Amino acid sequence: MERKIRFGDFVQQVTVGQQQLSYNALTPEIQKDEEGKDIPYVADHLKVRKIDVYNILQPYISVRFIEQIRAVVPLALYLMLFQILILKQNVTDSWVITGGLFSVIVGLMLFMEGLKVGLMPFGESIGSTLPAKARLRVVMTVAFILGIGVTFAEPAIGALKTAGSIVNIEEAPYLYTLLNDWAGLMVLIVGIGVGLAAVLGTFRFLYGWSLKPLVYLTLIPTVGLTLYISSQPELAKILGLAWDCGAVTTGPVTVPLVLSLGIGIASAAGKGNSSLSGFGIVMLASLFPIIGVQLLALYVSFVTTPEAIIAAGNTIVSNEIAWHQKTPFIETILGIRAIIPLVIFLIVVMMFVLKEQIKNRGAITYGICLCVLGMIVFNVGLSYGLAKLGSQSGSLVPGAFTQLNEVTNSPLFGYATGLVVAIIFAWILGFGATLAEPALNALGLTVENLTNGAFPKSLLMYAVSFGVGTGIALGVLKIIFAIPIAWLLIPGYAIAVILTALSNEEFVNIAWDSAGVTTGPVTVPLVLAMGLGFGNAVGAVEGFGILSMASIGPIISVLATGLWIQWKVNKRHVQERRQQNIVVEG
Amino acid sequence: MKKEITVLTDAALITCVVQRGVADKIIHAAQEVGAQGATVYYARGGGVRERLGVLGLAIEVEKEVITIVVANDQIDRVFEKMYLAGNLDTPGMGIMYVTKLDKVATYIPQEIVDKLAKPVIGASKD
Repeated sequence: MERKIRFGDFVQQVTVGQQQLSYNALTPEIQKDEEGKDIPYVADHLKVRKIDVYNILQPYISVRFIEQIRAVVPLALYLMLFQILILKQNVTDSWVITGGLFSVIVGLMLFMEGLKVGLMPFGESIGSTLPAKARLRVVMTVAFILGIGVTFAEPAIGALKTAGSIVNIEEAPYLYTLLNDWAGLMVLIVGIGVGLAAVLGTFRFLYGWSLKPLVYLTLIPTVGLTLYISSQPELAKILGLAWDCGAVTTGPVTVPLVLSLGIGIASAAGKGNSSLSGFGIVMLASLFPIIGVQLLALYVSFVTTPEAIIAAGNTIVSNEIAWHQKTPFIETILGIRAIIPLVIFLIVVMMFVLKEQIKNRGAITYGICLCVLGMIVFNVGLSYGLAKLGSQSGSLVPGAFTQLNEVTNSPLFGYATGLVVAIIFAWILGFGATLAEPALNALGLTVENLTNGAFPKSLLMYAVSFGVGTGIALGVLKIIFAIPIAWLLIPGYAIAVILTALSNEEFVNIAWDSAGVTTGPVTVPLVLAMGLGFGNAVGAVEGFGILSMASIGPIISVLATGLWIQWKVNKRHVQERRQQNIVVEG
Repeated sequence: MKKEITVLTDAALITCVVQRGVADKIIHAAQEVGAQGATVYYARGGGVRERLGVLGLAIEVEKEVITIVVANDQIDRVFEKMYLAGNLDTPGMGIMYVTKLDKVATYIPQEIVDKLAKPVIGASKD
């Protein structure tokens, strides 16, 4: 038997039904008071059902969670798989590491959201209103103190302290004391460096200075100090640390906050040469701390001797760890100490310098709480997840080419093959981690817009990643063969300076900043810990310096790519002109 | 010869305001049921967000406004798909509406014009 259905009915059934409701029925009635004036209507709070709460929170959380998973999981997976498949070693403490990585993801998620909701609005409103309301001197003071504050709030800075506990006091006493007894002062000095960079960068915004002379002027003392320090055998061991500090500072807190202040000042002064004024500060913020830490090391070498440090260090070891140095407490204290001073400073500036009410108190409090909580959770994950994983794979990779007790059947390959395996491992680590960095994607977009497509986004991303990969590979070579870091850094920066002199201002700006972008809160601890573990395994004195190589690598690769593009564009112009001439002649 | 424009009639504009970052998903859903193109612009707005209290923090103030021109026959299908893709039945997720359009002009492939276009009454032809 045949049944007939109207096609219209069928369509009605498969699509969603629609009910109609007049909007008039929803609009509230405006009440009048005795005098016949309208009472302003205030909307009631909505009553939400449980399912709505779920529907609202689920995308909010999952989007942010997945963002951080993308930053952490591929890297961690790469390290673990390399260890299992190539080195044929089990991951020890895999549950602790997994838990640690999970708390890194959760911590970063909370921290980044808190930064966006709680701290960035401050930075933006201070940046846009401060220059109009205060004198230049006050503005510069605020910029300076802000630079110090953001350094303490930078999540990756905790990694330096974690790294400090692995250093062998006997072999590198100055390095040990800098990272332990002088750690607080060292972070402060790094912060002062960032603060000075913020001030100088702001002047650059205001007066439209070219970046090239700034690069030369900053490099002279940096390299000069490096040369002097590398001539002192005991002090030379801190060079890697000093240069690594530069890479640590330019993270997710410093860059946006300092930039928003600088751009605000420039636009308020009406001199915002908008296209490239955002660049330059990051580069200064990564070079000044190097000078600072080098000076601090020199100072330490005047006050104490290596013998005194070793003696002092050995007596402390016997002490029992105090309660506030144990796991949940130390991270909590560090987390609060990182965020709260910055927040207090921002509030003081808002209330007393700008004399402005703080808007959206609720949201800002929520953001700050998230920041602190995120920092605490991240710090826990830092020591149990990233640092542990990094140092573990760092200490096992040398098993590819040398005899290690931890690695059965080591060396796994012949010396040359093993060395190549280790270098390729390092290169892919740097290349992959950089390519995945979300900040690089953002930089790529900006650069593509600024250069009107001459420097495509993907080309920049590959150039930077290639530079970082090569830098990290060189850094690993440095540790294996105990090459003094100065021998690598000084020629590297020399090449960079020559390329800078040849390049356009635009490309110089992009290249020197691209280095700062690549060192995020996941890469830094992982690479630091890997370097230290690697150094311990091959018996090197110190394992720092990989990050600094990862900073100079992209500078050179981006400058070189920029020159190549410049050459290509010029050639095209010449060709076009020739063709025009031919047309004219014909 | 005077240049001729072909205008499309029987078109409607669907405008959909959602939180920043959601637009791509909705456009994809709309294009699956035949929407031809979409324009997105950035905006800022609230309403329900302020009435949600603490939960409002989970809703982005920054919005994306999607506008899609559709044929009259498509309105309901595209509208529903976009509504469902954007979960607009959840408080704070956004709002959408349809407006009738008098005429639309854009690139139309020549062979389609030749096949379908009717001269507009009253328009001068040389």
